[in-house]
Amino acid sequence: MNYPVWELTVAGGGLIIALIAVVHVYVSHFAVGGGLFLVLLEKKAYRLRSQGLLSYVQQHAKFFLLLTMVFGGLTGVGIWFTIALLNPGATSTLIHTFVFGWAMEWVCFTGEIVALFIYYYTFGKMQPAQHLRIGWLYFLFAWLSLVLINGIIAFMLTPGGWLQNGGFWTGFFNPSMLPAMVFRTAIGLMYTGIFGFLTSSFIREDELRHRMARYCARWLLLSFAVAAAGAWWYFSSLPPEIQTMMVKRSPELVRYMKVFAGASGAMLVAAVLMALRSPQPVQKAIAFGVLALGLVYMGGFEFLREGGRKPYIIYNHTYANAIVKSDRARIDREGILKTARWVRYRNLTPLTELAAGREIFRVECLSCHSIGGPLNDILPRTAKFQTFGMDSMLNGLGKINDYMPPFMGTVAERRALAGFIVAGLHGKQKEAAGPVPARRLQHEVPPFDPATSEYVLLSWNDLGMHCISDSDRYWVLLPPANDLVAQLVRRGPKPQVVTRGVRLTYRVESGFENPAAHVDFWKYAPSVFGKRLEPNVGLSGNGLAGEMHFDEKLNAYEASLIPVVPYPDQGGYNPYPLFTVEARDEKTGRLLAKTRVVAPTATEMGCRNCHGGQWRVDGKAGFTAETAKDILAVHDKNSGTRLLEMAEAGQPQLCQSCHPDPILGAKGKAGILNFPAAIHGWHANFLTDRGTEACFKCHPSSPDGPTQCLRGVHAKNLDCTTCHGTLEDHALTLLKAEQKAGKLSAGRLMRHLRPRRVATLAEIKPRTPWHNEPDCLGCHGDFKRPVAGKADGFNKWTAGAADLYRMRRDKTKSLMCEACHGSPHAVYPAVNKLDRDRDNIQPIQYQGAARTIGRNNCRLCHTKDMEKPGHHPMAVQAAGKGAGVG
Amino acid sequence: MDPANLVPQPDAISVPYGWFQGLLLLTFVLHLLMMNTMLGSSIIALVTELGGRDGKPRLNKVISLKLPYTIAFTVNFGVAPLLFLQVLYGHFIYCSSVLMAVYWLSVVALLIVAYYCAYLYDFKFDELAGSRTIFIAITTILLLLIGFIFSNNMTFMQRPEAWTRYFSNPRGTLLNLSDKTLYPRYLHFVTASVAVAGLFQAILAQRRLGKGDVGAQRNLDKGMRWFSGATLVQMLIGLWFLMSLPPDKRQLFLGGSGYATALLIIGVCAALAVLVLGLKGLVWPSAAALMAAIVPMTLMRDALRQAYLAPYFSFSDLKVTGHYSPLIAFLIVFVIGVTVIGYMLKLAAAAGKEA
Repeated sequence: MNYPVWELTVAGGGLIIALIAVVHVYVSHFAVGGGLFLVLLEKKAYRLRSQGLLSYVQQHAKFFLLLTMVFGGLTGVGIWFTIALLNPGATSTLIHTFVFGWAMEWVCFTGEIVALFIYYYTFGKMQPAQHLRIGWLYFLFAWLSLVLINGIIAFMLTPGGWLQNGGFWTGFFNPSMLPAMVFRTAIGLMYTGIFGFLTSSFIREDELRHRMARYCARWLLLSFAVAAAGAWWYFSSLPPEIQTMMVKRSPELVRYMKVFAGASGAMLVAAVLMALRSPQPVQKAIAFGVLALGLVYMGGFEFLREGGRKPYIIYNHTYANAIVKSDRARIDREGILKTARWVRYRNLTPLTELAAGREIFRVECLSCHSIGGPLNDILPRTAKFQTFGMDSMLNGLGKINDYMPPFMGTVAERRALAGFIVAGLHGKQKEAAGPVPARRLQHEVPPFDPATSEYVLLSWNDLGMHCISDSDRYWVLLPPANDLVAQLVRRGPKPQVVTRGVRLTYRVESGFENPAAHVDFWKYAPSVFGKRLEPNVGLSGNGLAGEMHFDEKLNAYEASLIPVVPYPDQGGYNPYPLFTVEARDEKTGRLLAKTRVVAPTATEMGCRNCHGGQWRVDGKAGFTAETAKDILAVHDKNSGTRLLEMAEAGQPQLCQSCHPDPILGAKGKAGILNFPAAIHGWHANFLTDRGTEACFKCHPSSPDGPTQCLRGVHAKNLDCTTCHGTLEDHALTLLKAEQKAGKLSAGRLMRHLRPRRVATLAEIKPRTPWHNEPDCLGCHGDFKRPVAGKADGFNKWTAGAADLYRMRRDKTKSLMCEACHGSPHAVYPAVNKLDRDRDNIQPIQYQGAARTIGRNNCRLCHTKDMEKPGHHPMAVQAAGKGAGVG
Repeated sequence: MDPANLVPQPDAISVPYGWFQGLLLLTFVLHLLMMNTMLGSSIIALVTELGGRDGKPRLNKVISLKLPYTIAFTVNFGVAPLLFLQVLYGHFIYCSSVLMAVYWLSVVALLIVAYYCAYLYDFKFDELAGSRTIFIAITTILLLLIGFIFSNNMTFMQRPEAWTRYFSNPRGTLLNLSDKTLYPRYLHFVTASVAVAGLFQAILAQRRLGKGDVGAQRNLDKGMRWFSGATLVQMLIGLWFLMSLPPDKRQLFLGGSGYATALLIIGVCAALAVLVLGLKGLVWPSAAALMAAIVPMTLMRDALRQAYLAPYFSFSDLKVTGHYSPLIAFLIVFVIGVTVIGYMLKLAAAAGKEA
């Protein structure tokens, strides 16, 4: 950030350094090993008195001179030029730290040139012993050059104690210096065999050519063995975080590792082939092939080594984008535009935002990413994003996947950068923001006569919102599965909850009877759930109409897992389909009571906000293949799975087949994070420092969205975070429990998350999802209304599943809380965005007003006013004596 | 925008700056001599080839044999001053290099082509006959181009006020063409190259003469003619260069600074001596006078750079860490290296073939 950044586009992303470095390193290693090859072979020629061999050595020396001194020497200077252009800051650190190391290397370089000139130009003119001495001196100078440069290169990967003391010798004799030196010396010798193959394949005399081919094969194979041992030692000398980066964490590096290993094997085979007495044209062809393999081998190694440093260029000191690690806190505090030198726009305004975003891109991204080039192209990597997704991606950089540096700067700068990538690089227009027009719905309220009706039938959905991932062809997170619960109360001075002798049925409203026509759930159920289901029949055998069954545990009738979807036959998206529930006398079939209830069910899951793709239905909801596939691709990339491949082969999976999840009763796989912990923990890293936006970008809770699932009385003054905490808090509660359970990956997700609702992680109360949820009594102590503005349900979890609002009953143990108060998220009185009183049908049916069942109205069931609180302590006040929760 | 804000914070140096400045100036003089020989020889060879009267120009044959060495050692002796330049002025040279990155990086490719062409000119001198002109022409043009790029960067690095152009062109395709001193400065180096190369040929011929090769006299005369002619032209270009300097910088050499003025006087006197001795055909005295001119000229160049950078930087800004042991190690390696190189050259000379 101190230096100007060369704005490369296609040639960016390390292409220039890769092109120059790989060929240079190839030739320069050869320049070391080749020296030894020349003297040993020359000596052999003298010993054997072989003129043919001697003249081959001389020819090889000419080739060696032209290749190593001209091309090798100048590309070496080229690397120096290049790194100073691409990363001046880091180059400056290397130069200033090791100036006398470079200077010593320069002395060796000079000695190398002088020796090689003398060696070549005095060939046959100098006494053999002296000539050999010159050859040895050449080799010595060349090898010392390697030793010196190797020390500095190894330093970049493992600076070791230098980070503390800044000393030359500590930096030079760093932890990987010695093993790297052995490895590099060995590959220098190995390449000698390769280049020897090349020059000797041109020898006309058959016998000599074959002899040389065998000789070179021996060089290659022997030095390969040393190189392999050196590579292992080298790898072992690296800190564990670099090792895992190379073999595990960075998908790209894993690929280079494979290339490196593949080229090694192929080279060995070729060497053996070379040793066989093949005809000259075949030998020439193999020689060129091996030459190419050597380059691939070198490239694989260099990419691995450089990649292992990620996200640094000098490990733990300077990031790949030249920002020094110790500057990070200041940049985050003051902003990159204020702290970087080579930027024009110091302040962000709507007018400068795009141009400033480009400058930030230059400073933070351009050193590693090309624009439309062959290496690290930013365009395909960001093609799926709109500004929000891009911003979130930047938000999460360098956290869970630490092969990229984190974004450094303020949140506004991060947005400006995201805006530049989306609008400036991809030319995308901003997506139309603003409220989605709600579809107007209507409902009928069934009749009820307070004077004559014998029964009150109460029915509800147990969750208040059930989300469905209709991405069945690729994966399933939640199937269509709504639970309806009902209690029938026989009115009278001593009212009773009826538990026998009646038959309760449910029936979805017209247009929703055929969900199989709208989603692929039934098609893929065998793969996802391991069972074949009749169309329109859900996982527990319930259809869109049927009978409810009495559940002792609830003391209520229930129809579980009804496969309703938010897509009516007439088209569009309706997340609030109505069900009619009827109670009849079991014996006579007489209709005792009838009511209507919403089975809220949404597909407004905003995965597309980051994973790309469009809404599938009506521009409002549902998964397109593009979104669903990207999610799998990202999962595969980060977790080493093959989910996309499996899905495309017709075997989509249920997320919870690996990730345990109490809501589905899924045991998952041992050691893997439970689903809520994994999904919230992962994404929290990308969505920090936000409020409810972080919730509704995924859940259907946006006030501007087509669902707005938080619609109950709590929606008036509270939001998601009041009870659940911010996303970071929410994720930490789940992850902390998993960490306690010994799941290692929890720590990886938690590392960068900071609690916001409480000061420290220690204060976060761990919890099991779906069992330990916000406890109503956390705010409503003694069933009282909390002090205005003080409601805070976070960190006050229910002790277990039995204490959940959806499981609880009143003091009499007969009525369920939800029967009178309504579904969670839709607690009476609710305001439904699509149809104001849709969630209040029962209060209106029985009381003529949208309020808690029985509030100021004990007569509804008791047919008389009551004096004592029967259902819970404040209920009596609710009956008319004061301010209760009602 | 204040250009001073663009100048990065320099990194700390290990030993006091005098060490680096000394090493920079010393190695730069070596580089300069080698570069002058390389570029000038190439120009002389090309002009001679284009003159074309002599089918087998003896001078060019000599040049062809030496050119690859001079390129190798120009690069080699260039690495050292560039290293020390980065230590002292890295925060300037890196910036200007990035601003002209495309040209700066192209130096490597241009040099590789120039080098291989020089080798073709050497190895195939006789076989190629007339078409060898193409190769020496490519080498010469590319070397001239490289020189121009270097002149650009060396002037660009000392003008932070010109760096703000980056904001309208960050693509690395800027040059310092608006600097009036660029052209005389560049020509100053090119002309010096022709002079030094002429003298180099004369020295080589002198040695051949000493060994009884009477035919070398022609080369000696030719070399001295190139030398003197170029020096004469240099007087005018030098004056042009001086006049092109911004008045405050020029004034330093015209009495404003005792040190700078003394350098100019010594340099000009030495140059006049070079001219007189050259015209008299005195090879070794000319060489001595040339050295007497080059050293103050190099110091002047350095003083000029410091004057340009004075608003932004002075050596006293550099923090010193005081790590001497690497310097000592370098000095030891240097002495050993020079000894071994001397030994190798002795062996080579004994083999009747110089390196």
